Formats: sequence, C-alpha cells, structure tokens
Amino acid sequence: MTAQTSVGRPAHHDPNETKPDNPLKRSIVSGIAVGVPLAIIAYFVTSGLVHTTNADPATIRNDSLVIAYLGWGLGFLFGVGAFNRPIQWALSRNEPTHQDELELAGHRGGAWRYFRFTTDHKVVGIQYLVMGMVLFAAGGVAAMLIRLEVIQPGAKMFPIQTYNTIIGMHGLIMIVATIIMITGPFTNFVVPIMIGARDMAFPRLNALSFWLLFTAVPIFLSAPFFGGFQTGWTAYAPLSDQTALGMDAYSLTILFFVASTAVAAVNVVTTVATMRAPGMSWTRLPILTWGSVASSALGLVVMPSFLASQYLLMLDRTIGTGFYKGDRGGSQWLYEHLFWFMGHPEVYVIVLPAFAVVLELLPVFTRKPLFGYRTAVGGIVGVSSLSMIVWAHHMFVTGWSPTASGPFMLTTELISIPTGLVFLASVGTLWRGKAWMTVPMLYLISFLWNFVIGGVTGIYLADVPTDVQLHGSLFVTAHFHYTLMGGGMMAFLAGVYYWYPKMSGRMYDDRLGRIQFWTMQIGFNVTYMAMFYVGLQGEPRRVGDYAAKFAVGNFISSIGAFVIGASMILLWYNLIASKRRGAIAPANPWNAKTLEWQVPTPVPLENFEEIPIVTAGPYEYGTPAEPAHIAGEGVPST
Amino acid sequence: MNKSSPGGGPQAALGKLSMAGAVVAVAVGAALVLGLALLLKALGAHPFTLKASTSSSTGGQTVAHLTISAYPDSMAGEHGKSGGAHPDWVSYGPTTNLWVPAHALVKMTIKNYDSATALNSPFFGNVQGTVGGVAYYNGKPLKRINPNDVAHTFTIHMFPTAGQPPLDVSVPLLGVADNAPNAPGSQYPKPTVVTFEFHTGASGRYIWQCFDPCGGTSYYAGFGGPMQNLGYMAGTVTVGGGAVA
Ligand SMILES: [Cu+2]
Ligand SMILES: [Cu+2]
Repeated sequence: MTAQTSVGRPAHHDPNETKPDNPLKRSIVSGIAVGVPLAIIAYFVTSGLVHTTNADPATIRNDSLVIAYLGWGLGFLFGVGAFNRPIQWALSRNEPTHQDELELAGHRGGAWRYFRFTTDHKVVGIQYLVMGMVLFAAGGVAAMLIRLEVIQPGAKMFPIQTYNTIIGMHGLIMIVATIIMITGPFTNFVVPIMIGARDMAFPRLNALSFWLLFTAVPIFLSAPFFGGFQTGWTAYAPLSDQTALGMDAYSLTILFFVASTAVAAVNVVTTVATMRAPGMSWTRLPILTWGSVASSALGLVVMPSFLASQYLLMLDRTIGTGFYKGDRGGSQWLYEHLFWFMGHPEVYVIVLPAFAVVLELLPVFTRKPLFGYRTAVGGIVGVSSLSMIVWAHHMFVTGWSPTASGPFMLTTELISIPTGLVFLASVGTLWRGKAWMTVPMLYLISFLWNFVIGGVTGIYLADVPTDVQLHGSLFVTAHFHYTLMGGGMMAFLAGVYYWYPKMSGRMYDDRLGRIQFWTMQIGFNVTYMAMFYVGLQGEPRRVGDYAAKFAVGNFISSIGAFVIGASMILLWYNLIASKRRGAIAPANPWNAKTLEWQVPTPVPLENFEEIPIVTAGPYEYGTPAEPAHIAGEGVPST
Repeated sequence: MNKSSPGGGPQAALGKLSMAGAVVAVAVGAALVLGLALLLKALGAHPFTLKASTSSSTGGQTVAHLTISAYPDSMAGEHGKSGGAHPDWVSYGPTTNLWVPAHALVKMTIKNYDSATALNSPFFGNVQGTVGGVAYYNGKPLKRINPNDVAHTFTIHMFPTAGQPPLDVSVPLLGVADNAPNAPGSQYPKPTVVTFEFHTGASGRYIWQCFDPCGGTSYYAGFGGPMQNLGYMAGTVTVGGGAVA
C-alpha cells in the first residue's frame, strides 16, 4: 500500500462520526483517571492477598509496589486510549474510516490534541520535543544540585543517600532524554515530510511510543519518595539487589521505556522502507533519515537487553530469584553483560542521529553539497554495526575475562574508523564553504569541537592499560559528557534552532540564541575540562565528598555548570517567548532543499496535497539545477 | 564568515525579545533550583543526632558520655517498632548520627544484644585508638577479643577531607551466646556491655561503621544490606562546634 491510496477516500457521512468526541476521552485526563485508581487497587489487592503474614501493614513491600506501578502503567495506557483499536479489532468492529483516522490525528486542531492520544506525526514530534526539554530540565536541576554539593569538599549540602539518589536520577533521566532528543522530535516531525509521506507507517504505534514514555516518567520521579536508589544509573547488581524501594521504580521505568523505544523504532524503519515518495531512492534520502534508521535499528537490537537486565533484577528483588546473587548460583557479571550490551551501543543510538543532524545541516549553512554522501552513510552504518561488539570495554577491570580485553580493545578502537568517515564528510563539506553563521551553524561547529575531544579521550579509556588507571574516575564522566552532551546535545540544539521555525511557525530570537550558544559552549568546556583535570588527579566519580586537593577543579567545574544552567533557561525563554511574540516564520527561512521546507508553515494535516515526485538529491546547492529538487504540480509553492 | 542569508532569503529576527525578560527568567530559575536544594537538605536530614551529655571535670577537661546499642534487627532503633523498610536488618540505635564535643574525653558505652559472626579479618578483633588501648567487656578490660566472638565493630574513620585531625577508633563488640534466651520483659537477650574512652581533637566530621560481616548470608560476604546503609551498620560522628548536622 502506498501513501497515495489514503487520499481522496470518500468520507463516510455518518453524522456520529463527524461529531467531535468528548475531549476528555483518550486524553491525559482519562489516562490518569484510570491509571491512579488502578495503581491503588493493585497495591492493596496484592499487599492484602499475598502478605497475610503478620508484617506491619505500614511497611511498603516491593512486590506490591511493582504491581502498583504496573497497574498505573496499564491503567494509564488504557485510559489514554492506547488499546482502543486493538480492542475494536478483537471484537470485530468496523474498520475505521478515513474520517475516524483524521479525528484521531487531531484534524480539529487546537492545543488540547497535544494532551491526547493523537496520531499525527507532527503532534507526536512536538510532544516529544516538549518531553525531551522537560527531561533535560529535570536532569539539569539534578546536575545543579550535584554541582552545588561538590562545589567544595565536605558533603555539606545533602545526606549522602540523598546525594546518591540525585546522581542516579540525573544519570538515567539524561540517558532517556538524550536517547529521545533527536529521534523523538525531529525524526517524528521531519522525516515523514522529508521522504514525502503523509504520516508514519503506524500512526497509532507512534502515539503509543510517546505515551509509553509518558507512563514511565512519573514512575521514575516517584523513586525518591521510596528511599531512592544508591546505585548510580548503572544499577549494578548485587548492589541494586539490596538498595531501597526506589530501585523498583527504576526497573519499571526501563520496562516501559524500552517498550516505547521498540515501538518507535519499528515504526521509523518501516516508514522509511515503505513510504518514500516516488523518486526518493535510498541514495537520495536526506542523511537525517539514514541516521534515524540506523539509530532505530540499533536500538531495536540492543535495548531489549536493558529490559532483560531490569526484568531479572525485578524478579530478584520481588520474588527472590537469584539471577545476580552469587550465593544462589547467579552472577553479577550477567548483569554487567546485559547492561553494557545495551549500554555501549546506546551511546551510538544517541550519537548517530546527532551525526545525521550535523551532516544534514552543514550543506544548508555552507551552501555546498554534502561531501561524500555515500561515505557518510557508510560511516553511520559502520558505527552502528561495530558498536554491538564493544560492550565489554566497560568490564576491563571486573576480572570477567582478561583474555577478552584485547579483542574488545581492538573492536572499540576500530570504531574510530567509521566515525572518522563521518568527520571526513563534515570537514569536507565545510572545506572552502561560505559558512552562514546562524545559531544552528554555531552549534554544528561546537559539535565538531566537542566531539573530537570526547572521541580522543575515549581512546585512552578503550586502551586497557590506561583504562585500568582511569576507570571509575571523573575522567570517564568528563569523557562521556563530551560525547553525549558536547556532541549529542549540541547537535540537538542545532536541530532545535533549525527546525523551530517549521515546528512552531515563529522565528526564534537570534540575539538571544547567540548568547545562549556562547554561554552553553563556554560553560560546557569550563565544566568538563576542569572535570578531566580532577579525574586525572584521581578523584573518583559519583562521590559527594572529596579530598582538598580536588577543591579547585571542582569549584571551577561547578561555576561552569551554573553557566550551563543559566544558558538552558535562556533557551527555554527564547522558545516559549518566541512562540508568542516571535516573527512569523516563512515556509523556508534557510532556503533549504529538503522537502520539509517546501511545504507551508504550519504544515497541513497530511503534509502534501499531492505526493511529490523527487527528481534530485537533497543537497544540490550551488548547482545550476537549483531549485529543482522536486517536481509535481501538487507541491505548494512557498 | 557571513551572517546574512545567501540568495537574500529571510533570516532570523534579531532581538525581538527583551533582554530584561531573559534575565528575569534566569534569576527565577536559579532561585527555584536553590529553593529545591534547601528543601531537599531539610527533608533529607537524618532523623536526629544523638548528642553526648557533657560534664566538666578535673583539670578543666570536658568529659562526654554517650550510650548506644547494637540490635539483631531494626525494631528498637530509629526505624520504629515496626522496623521500617528492613525490619530484619541488624542495626545500631537509637540513631547512628552521633555528636561529641571537641577536645574532650568521650566515655562511650555500647550495649550489644546480637550474637557473633566470625570476622573476615582478625585485625578488627583488636581494640584500637582508645585510652589505654583497652575496652571493658562486662567490666573486664581487654586489648582484643576472639575474632569468632565478635558481633559487630564500632570503627570510626576519617572523611577524606583534609584539615581535620585523624580520629581512628575501633572497638569490637562481644556477641551474646547464640542460644541466649530473651531477658524477662524484653525482645532481646541480656546484652554484653562494652565501655571505652577516647580523646577528640579539633572539630571535624567522621564516618563510622561496622566491619563484622553481619549483613546476612544473602549479601556478598555478609557486607551488603545493613552494612552499606547509614542508619543500620554505619553512621556519622560529628566532633565539636555547636552545630548538630
Ligand atoms: Cu562503551
Ligand atoms: Cu555489624
């Protein structure tokens, strides 16, 4: 079935179908209305039925807590309407009409559709953008608290257990935020338009992926109310077997989150494979599409390993299995393998779309074709495949297998080759380009700067002898912040400024954007250069107190972090205030050639009046053919 | 470098928003984060700190008295009668946060209601850092006890913060007999009473913990669970100042 067959289908004229349904139905309100009572019922039923022992009823049991979380999750998803269509299908109800689909896609418009089970990929993209920003804010607040505690030695701010929980929450929130930050907003909003489709292949799964994520967030945020967890985001067993009830919130969060990523990934891969417009061959695909597909496919393989690690942990904790307990025949190495088989590829799930954003935007702002398109695609695919055979570099010092360290060191270092191809394409595109120094372009350059530092310091951590020294130190923390934040998040910010006019219909404030950029880039480098320094001095990561010799580096690092915090507030302010007071955005403010800029702003519900026919590649800047990227009378002119 | 759009295209609106608004936003954001930090600090504060009672004494030296207990479960300390989240975990009580004055002689009593678990390292069977290098076990002075008879240890060591004097005290607690009956009217057997004295220097913050593998067999080497949690087999010692953290 091609996308075209969905247009022009005669709408049913049953009056019931055109009547708007109750706005509270299949919304966040009905979700909470079902989810919260179900959680409470589930809690009391299990604690009443299972625990007939004479345990104090005031004591919260973790098996009851787990069931309550599941009750919340299923109840919320049911209430938000995620299961409506499967239930109708099972009951052999009528196929939904096109009118029904439009209703579900939020064709009536209005802000409330962002709080409902809405299938339009553009709504889902904006939901993800807001969720990503909220998660960055939550993780960022945790980061501020951390830097407040360690601005000077002495652990004066929080009790150690509170501090440990803040560390773990910062870690996991930021991991989730960075996993979704590009494929959530931009892949959802932009890629279907980019490839000339009317929506994603599975619009309901698309909405489901967002609401699954939404389900997980309150579960995770509840962790501190149940004693938090003392493990950091890696949740190593057997420590995680023993820590407070908050650990159960962590495990359940991952169950819902991994389901969300799987559903989203299937959708992205299927959409790109089957719904490209005529003429949109694989070699004409905009590079963001490649990055999204590679990241999604990789996530589809590795994220279930995260789910398995947490599922087994949950069983260990609730019904007394011993998967990770040595005295029961279990192994903590099992946990580490399951975790890192997700954990290392996961950094590329984050970084591949970031690479793609950089490669996507560089041609626009240098007005040059992308240098070595196929080389870049090869690099992206190469990184994604190699990343699955490097995980044990996190386990060099665990004693798991000294013999395996050599091969894992080799595979890890091999990744610099496909990564180098991506850099070659970036630098080749910049080479002799006439850079148009917009805010997104500044972020592209900061990506290149920061990611090189992150990559080079990664080599020291991939080398067994140096890793033995540096493992567990703040050097590691600084390294991965340079890759995931200095690289990944800067690319996300480039994307935010670049696509903001299309997504919001307004222009951002350029002067504020530049201030935000410079505070971010300077604050970032101050924070993590200082952290490299104390790491090399030998300060362990995650500690709330430290020796006096680390005081200067930590002080500088904290000051840098506060600058980052202020910078992120400027971003929020710019995005929110510009949405209300910014200049109306033209359809194509960057004179870009990809399809999303050829449709009007705001983008109509089904994107194109007629599916375009693609006749040229996406980056043919400076060629006589300009602007002949697409032909076809249905394409609206700008 | 080039700030204008190639081909004369439109470009981002320059400075439409007021900078004052941005400054206010940053200030409000910073205030919110600081407020949250102070709230967490208040909420996260440990239930209470046990302050040593002081009496001045001969020669002007401050003498402080402090009594705590070690229990085979968590039903008698800071976790309440129900035992809190882990009723079966061994614990110290009434709290594990202790305060003693600076430049003082601390006379400490620990009542131990728990039976013994053999030490991993016999080193912790030695009494260290106390006046005379001894502790009194039911009144009898000893420099060390049999590593197999240790129930818990009370071992103070330094926060890694320089600028405070070392305070290294370690006293093993003698276990009650495995089959000891509960004392009349009590949920525990008659305790062994361990007393010892040590000198404090200038003010500082320290941590103390047990080094006996008393965490139970479900944890690796007996060192998990209560052994790694403040409020059970670990706590803090604050020396001096008026401040009770
Ligand atoms: Cu790795
Ligand atoms: Cu103990």
